[in-house]
Amino acid sequence: MKTNQDNDYTQHYVEFSPELDSFIKARKKGVRSWILAHLLYKNNKYIIIIVFIFTIVAANLSSLILVILGLAITDFLKGDQSNFSFYILLILLLGIGIPLLRLINFMLREILAQRMERDTRKEFLENLLGKSQSFHEQQKTGDLMARATEDVRMLNFLVSPALSLIIESFSILVVPIIYIIIFFPSELAIAPIIFTILFLIALRDYNRKLGPVTVQLRTEFGEMDDKLNESLTGIELIKSTAQELRQSQKYLIHARKYRDAYFQEGKIQAKYTPLLLLAIAITFGLAHSIYLYYQGILTIGDIIAYMGLFALLQFPTNISIFIFALLKLAHASSDRLLEVMNKDTEIDENIEGIQKELVGEIKFENVTFKYPEDVNPVLKNISFEINPGQTLAVVGATGSGKTTLTKLISRLYDISEGKITIDGIDIRDYSLKSLRSQVSYIEQDIFLFSTSIFENISFGRVGTLEEVIEVAKQAQAHDFISRFPKGYESEVGERGVQLSGGERQRIAIARAFLANPKILILDDSTSAIDSETEDKIQEAITNILRKRTTILITHRLSQIRWADLIIVLKKGTIEAIGTHEDLLKSSEEYQKIFIKRFDVDLKQLLKEEA
Amino acid sequence: MSFIGLEAEQYDRKYRDTELVRRIFSYFRPYKREMAIVTITLTISSLVSALVPILSAIALNSLATNLNPTNLMILLVIILISNLLSYVFNYFNWNYSTRALGNVLLDLRKDAVMAVLEHDLSFFDTNPIGKIVSRINSDSQDFGSMVDLANQVISSIFILSILLVYMVFINLILFFAFILAIPLFFILTFFFRKLARKKTLLGQRALATVNEMVKEILSGIQIAKTFRQEEKLNEKFKTVNTQSYRVNLRRAWVLNAIFPSLGIIQGIVLTLIIYYGGIAILNGQLQPGDLFLFLQSLWILIYPLFVIAAFWPQFQAGLAASERIFSLVDAKPVVIQKNNLKPPKFKGKIEFRNVAFQYKEGEKVFEKFNLIIKPGESLAIVGHTGAGKSTIAKLISRFYEFQEGDILIDDISIRDFELKEYRKQIGIVSQTPFLWADTIENNIKYCCEATDRESVISALEQAGGSDWIMDMSKGLDTYIRERGSLLSMGQRQLVVFARTLLENPSILILDEATASVDPFTETRVQDALEKTIQNRTSIIIAHRLWTVRRVDRIIVLDHGKIVEEGTHNELMARGGKYAGLYNTYFRHQSLEYVEKVKEIKQKQT
Repeated sequence: MKTNQDNDYTQHYVEFSPELDSFIKARKKGVRSWILAHLLYKNNKYIIIIVFIFTIVAANLSSLILVILGLAITDFLKGDQSNFSFYILLILLLGIGIPLLRLINFMLREILAQRMERDTRKEFLENLLGKSQSFHEQQKTGDLMARATEDVRMLNFLVSPALSLIIESFSILVVPIIYIIIFFPSELAIAPIIFTILFLIALRDYNRKLGPVTVQLRTEFGEMDDKLNESLTGIELIKSTAQELRQSQKYLIHARKYRDAYFQEGKIQAKYTPLLLLAIAITFGLAHSIYLYYQGILTIGDIIAYMGLFALLQFPTNISIFIFALLKLAHASSDRLLEVMNKDTEIDENIEGIQKELVGEIKFENVTFKYPEDVNPVLKNISFEINPGQTLAVVGATGSGKTTLTKLISRLYDISEGKITIDGIDIRDYSLKSLRSQVSYIEQDIFLFSTSIFENISFGRVGTLEEVIEVAKQAQAHDFISRFPKGYESEVGERGVQLSGGERQRIAIARAFLANPKILILDDSTSAIDSETEDKIQEAITNILRKRTTILITHRLSQIRWADLIIVLKKGTIEAIGTHEDLLKSSEEYQKIFIKRFDVDLKQLLKEEA
Repeated sequence: MSFIGLEAEQYDRKYRDTELVRRIFSYFRPYKREMAIVTITLTISSLVSALVPILSAIALNSLATNLNPTNLMILLVIILISNLLSYVFNYFNWNYSTRALGNVLLDLRKDAVMAVLEHDLSFFDTNPIGKIVSRINSDSQDFGSMVDLANQVISSIFILSILLVYMVFINLILFFAFILAIPLFFILTFFFRKLARKKTLLGQRALATVNEMVKEILSGIQIAKTFRQEEKLNEKFKTVNTQSYRVNLRRAWVLNAIFPSLGIIQGIVLTLIIYYGGIAILNGQLQPGDLFLFLQSLWILIYPLFVIAAFWPQFQAGLAASERIFSLVDAKPVVIQKNNLKPPKFKGKIEFRNVAFQYKEGEKVFEKFNLIIKPGESLAIVGHTGAGKSTIAKLISRFYEFQEGDILIDDISIRDFELKEYRKQIGIVSQTPFLWADTIENNIKYCCEATDRESVISALEQAGGSDWIMDMSKGLDTYIRERGSLLSMGQRQLVVFARTLLENPSILILDEATASVDPFTETRVQDALEKTIQNRTSIIIAHRLWTVRRVDRIIVLDHGKIVEEGTHNELMARGGKYAGLYNTYFRHQSLEYVEKVKEIKQKQT
C-alpha cells in the first residue's frame, strides 16, 4: 500500500454486487438483526401482521367454542332445549371455521417461509460472487454448498413451523386465560396464571439446558459425516495399509460422542417439568371449580367449559418441548451464513479506474506477496519485465509460487509489497472490469459449465456461431466437437465428464481465442494433449502467442522453447532468468532437468544449441 | 410440523417383514434391561394416563348425584397421584428408551462402518460414497425416529383403547359417532398423500436444480472472475431460485392443507357428539361427565391419528432405512479367502497363471493372462488407456477378485494369505495422491503409527528430499487441510511416495505416479526411484515413458494381452507398438522434439 500514492486501497469493496445490498448493515449487527431485517423486508411485515391477527382470532374462536359448549350443557342439564339447534349450528360453524382460518394462516406463513429461503439464498450467493478469488481458494466447495443449501433451508423452517408455532403457543397461552377471567369467576384464573408463570420459568431453564446439547448433536453428526466421507475417499489407502480398524475408530469416537449427547438430550426432554406442572394445575383447577360448584357459583356445564379452556394450555406446553430447539438450529445456521458473508474481501473494484485497451507491457518491481493469514511470503522480491507480444515461461519446482505469480496480474490477489505495472500504469489504477476482461487465464484443470459447448466457448465474450467455429478450428477442437450428435449444442456433462482432458483443454483454448485478450496466461494448460494433437495445435498456439503477451507455466520442456524469456522460480524467488541458451549455460538447476530427462551430457546440450 | 418422509420412495424389499423385525429386535436384545423398563413404564404410564379423564368424568358425574364430599376429595387426590405417576413413569420410559435407542444406533453404525470398510473396491464402484455415508448416518437416524415415534404412538393407542372400552359401555350411539372420525381421517390422509407425493417430487427436483446450480457456480467461480461474468451466472441462478420458490410454495401449501382438513373432520365429529350427546342428556340417558369424557377423548384421539397420518411415510422410510443398513452389513465381500496363511517376508516372485478378469459381466479385461515377474525385477507396463495396466496392480493388491486362473506370489496362491498382513507387504503409489486432513508427519507414518521422526525424515529423503518441508510454516507438523489441498500436486506425490517407502513393502507398484509432477521435482523423484526399485520387485505403470527406460523389462499391453516385451532400446529398434506409442504420446518429451519446436516457431515468425 505504501508504494501507491493516489488511492487508498485499504477500504473494503466487493467485486460484484448486482443491486443495492439491503441487508449489509443488519448482517454486521449480528444474527438477530439480520433475521429481523429479513422478516420485515418489503411486504413480509404485512404477512407477519396478518398472520399474527389471524392466530389471535383463531385462539379466540377456539376459546369461544368451549364457552358455548358450557352454556349448551348447562341448558341441556336443565332440560332446556330451546336453543338446541342454535348451539349445534354454532359449534359446527366454529368447528369448521377455525380450521379454515388456520388454513389461510398456514398459506400466508408458507409464503413468508419460502421467501425467507429464496431471499437469503440469493443474498448468500450474490455475496459469494462478490468475494475475491483468494477467499474462494481458502473455502471448501462442499462446505459452502452445505451453507447455501441446508443452512439456508433452516431459515425456511424458522418461519414454518418454528416462529408461527411460537406465535400460536403464545396466543393459546394468553387468550383462554382472558376468557376464563371474562366468563367465569376471576378467582378461577389463579391456577392457570400461576401455571403460566411457572411454565415460562421452567421453559427458560429447560431451553438453557437443551441448547448446548442440540448444538453438540449437530456438530457431532457433521463430524460423523466428515470422517466417514474422508475414510471412504481414502479407502484404497486404508486397504493397502490394512488400517481398517484404526480408521473405523476415528468414526466411532464421534458416533459415541453423538450417542452421549443423545442420552443427554433424552434425559433433559424426559424431565420436561411443564408437563407435570400442567397436570397439577389442571387437577387443582378441577378441585377449585368443584368447590365453586358446591358454593352454587358454577354449573356443571361451566366446569366442563373451564376444564376445556384449561386443557387448551396443553398445546403450548407440549409444543415447547421441541420448538425452541428449532430456533436454536436456525440461529446456528444463520451464524454460519453470516460468518461467511461478513468476511471482507480484499480486492478493490475501482469502478472509476482507468479503462483502456492494453498494449501488453508487464513489469514487476520488487513484488512480494503473502496470503493474509500467513507469515511467510509466497513470493519475495520478484522483478522482471516483458515487452508487448513477448512470451514468458515460468518454470520451477512444485510449490515455488508459479501459479500465484500469474494470479497477481489479473488481481485475483493483491500484492503485499512492490508494484506491478501494465503499460506503465499500476494495475490497481485500472478499473477491475477493464483489466480482467483483457487478461485471460487458462488453468490446468479446465472447468467447463454444464451448458452447451457453444456457450462454454463464448463464455468470456458472446460470439456468433461462425466465430465460435472459427476459433474452435484454430484450437483443433472443431473436429471432435462436430463428431458429437448435437455438435456445438451438445451439453457438457458435469465438470466436463464426457470430454477427455485434452479435449477440455482445447475448448478452453478456443474460449481464450474468442475472448481475444491482450494478455494470456496458460497454467500448464496443454498438459493433457498428446503428441499428435500437439503437432496440430502447434501452429494455433504459436498464432495465439504472437498477437499478445503470454505467460506460460509449463511442465513441458518443448513449450519452454516457445518462450522469449524464462524465469526459474525457487521457493518464491527468482533463481535464474534469461533465454533457454542463457540458462543452459548459467543455471545448474535448469541444466539438470535436460541432462536427466534426455540422458545427455551438458556438452552435447550446448552443442545442440550452437 | 412438516411432512417429513412423505417423499419416501418405494424400496425394493430384500427381506421379509418377519425377518426384518427379527433383525431389528436382535439389535435391542443386548439392552434387555432397558427394554423391560421401557415396556413396563409404558404400560403403567398409559394406564394411569387413561385413568385421569375417566376419574375426572366420574367426579363430574358424582356432582349430579351429590356424592359425599370426602369421597370426592379422595377421588381428586387419586387424580393428582395418577398425574404424578404418569409423569414419573413417562420420565423413566423416555429416559430408558433413549438409552436403548442411542446404543442400538451406535451398534448399527458400528456394524455398518466395519462392514463397509471391509468391502472390496468393486463395492465402491457401484455405490457412490455420498450414498453410503447417508445410509450409515442418516438412514440410521431415520430408523431411530421411527422407533421413537412407534413408542409414542403405541402409548397413545394404549390409552385410547382403554378409553374406547369405557366409552362402549356408556353410550353406543356416541361411540359410533366418535369412531367415525377414524376412517374419515384415513381416507383424507390417503387422498392428500397422493397429491403431496407428486408436489413433493417436483419440489425436490426444483431444489436439486438449485443445488446443482450453486455447486456449478462455486466450482466455476474462478472462470467467472477472470472473464468478469459474475452477472451471467447470477442471472441463471436467480431463474432457478425463483422457480424453486414457486414450486416449493405450492408443495408447502398442499402439505399444510392436510392439518386444517383433519381439523374440519374433528369439528364435524365434535358437532355430532354434542348433537347426540345433547339429545341423550335431555333424555336423561347420559351424564355430563361422560360427555366430557367423550370430548376429552376426541383430543386424545387426534394425537395418534395425527402422528400416524403425518408420519406413516416416515415409518416406511424408517423400515426401508433399516433394510438398507442391513443390506449394507450383509453384502458379501467378493474377495475370496481360501486360507489364512501368515505371509513370510516375500522374495517377490509374481506369477499370473491363466488369469481371467472382468469388472462387469461381459466386459472381459483379461482372458488367460500369463506373466511371470522374477524376484527383484523391475517391470514397466505401458499401453493405451483401457489396456488393463492398472488392473494388474489392483489384482495383485487384491482390491478386486479375478474370476479364473490364479495369481501366485513366491509360488503360493494369493488367496491363501491372510488379507491384511498380505496387503501390508504391497506398496502402491497411485496416480491421484490421497492424503488425510492431518499433519504431514502423521500422513507419512499412516501405516505405522509408532514410527519416530528420524525415520519419517529419512523416508522423505529417500523419496527425493526433505528440504521443501522446511519451507512449510510448521515443518512436518503443518496441517495440510482436506485431501492435502495445502500442498501442490507434486508435493502430495512426494508425501505419498515417502509414506509408501516407510512401509518398506516387498513389492512396489507405481501407478502413473509421476504424472503431475513438474520436471524439477521429477528429476529428484527419478533419482529416488532408481534407488528404491533396485532391491525389490517393482511394477511401474508408466505415463511418461522416460521413467521406464531404466527398468529391467518393459511389457506393452493391448486389450489385456502382452503384445511386446523387452528393453526400451530393443523395443524402439523393433519399430512396433511401443515405438508407435512413443511417437503418439511421448515424442514431444524428447530432445529432438524440443529442438524442433524452436525451428517451427522461428519459421513462423
